[in-house]
Amino acid sequence: MLRPPPLGSERARVIGLLDAFQAAERAGAEAVGRWIVACADARLRGGLRMIRARDRRHAALAEARLRSLGGVPGAQPSRELAALCGVVADPGVSDRSKLTLLIGHLPADENAPLGELVHRAEGDAETQALLQTIFDDERATVRWLRGMHDALEREGT
Amino acid sequence: MTGPEPEPDWVIRFLDDLRAAEAASAEVLAAWIDVCALDGLRGGLRVIAEREATHAELLAERLGEMGVAPSALLAEPVRSAALERFGSGRVSDEQKLASLLARYPDDASATRPITQILDRLPHDPETREILRLVAEGEAATIAWLRAYHAALARAAPASRV
Repeated sequence: MLRPPPLGSERARVIGLLDAFQAAERAGAEAVGRWIVACADARLRGGLRMIRARDRRHAALAEARLRSLGGVPGAQPSRELAALCGVVADPGVSDRSKLTLLIGHLPADENAPLGELVHRAEGDAETQALLQTIFDDERATVRWLRGMHDALEREGT
Repeated sequence: MTGPEPEPDWVIRFLDDLRAAEAASAEVLAAWIDVCALDGLRGGLRVIAEREATHAELLAERLGEMGVAPSALLAEPVRSAALERFGSGRVSDEQKLASLLARYPDDASATRPITQILDRLPHDPETREILRLVAEGEAATIAWLRAYHAALARAAPASRV
């Protein structure tokens, strides 16, 4: 049986979480873009380019979904996220410091908080699968960032 | 001062062929999304199609930085046949999933062609990291489609969404 799209307050809740998500991804993509410009390490630059491209497309996917549900994007990243993005984008901060900062902000449980987001989209199968699949990309990003952080630590750069 | 060494021809060819395959894959997935009857599958396919398009875009960018204009194309009969099958509303989503997954007996089979060359690129760490993450994306795609297909097979027809 095909489920109808979510209605009423349930739809508003899904639109709200998609809006917050697209704002966060857009802010992340912009900050990583500035990091790439200042990044002198070719390995790091290669991975960051993929991360920026993914984040941009995630933002576009979330925005398209929220619009198809009748929403209009308008969310802004939280103050904490904006501050984090400011450091990531700053050319005066070293690559190693940026990685350390990002790793420090990652939850110990890699399934949180995006897993919670997927859970909250319950009742809307398309949005839930969309977020679940995006979540796979985010996990790959986190793994890669941790690996690169460890490599730079070992090298002492 | 001399510039960086030009990339060997085999690297250029590999990147261009992979770019063409990823771009064609994104196109075929878009055709599938248009006729996909299952909400959950459609949501996943949307992300997977964007993932493939991202890979194609980054590889094209990288080729451009190497001074190469991307030119590879998937053989037209192969592209047309894939578009016809995956864009058809008469072929079920389950059949499409099964035929796609049959090409990849295990998750590594989707990434092996890429991971095999990573060690041959010590001179170009930027391309190597892009390819490493492309390979991870391919693995995630196959794992998600396999999980969805298995869940679909377990589910009773009346409860499918």
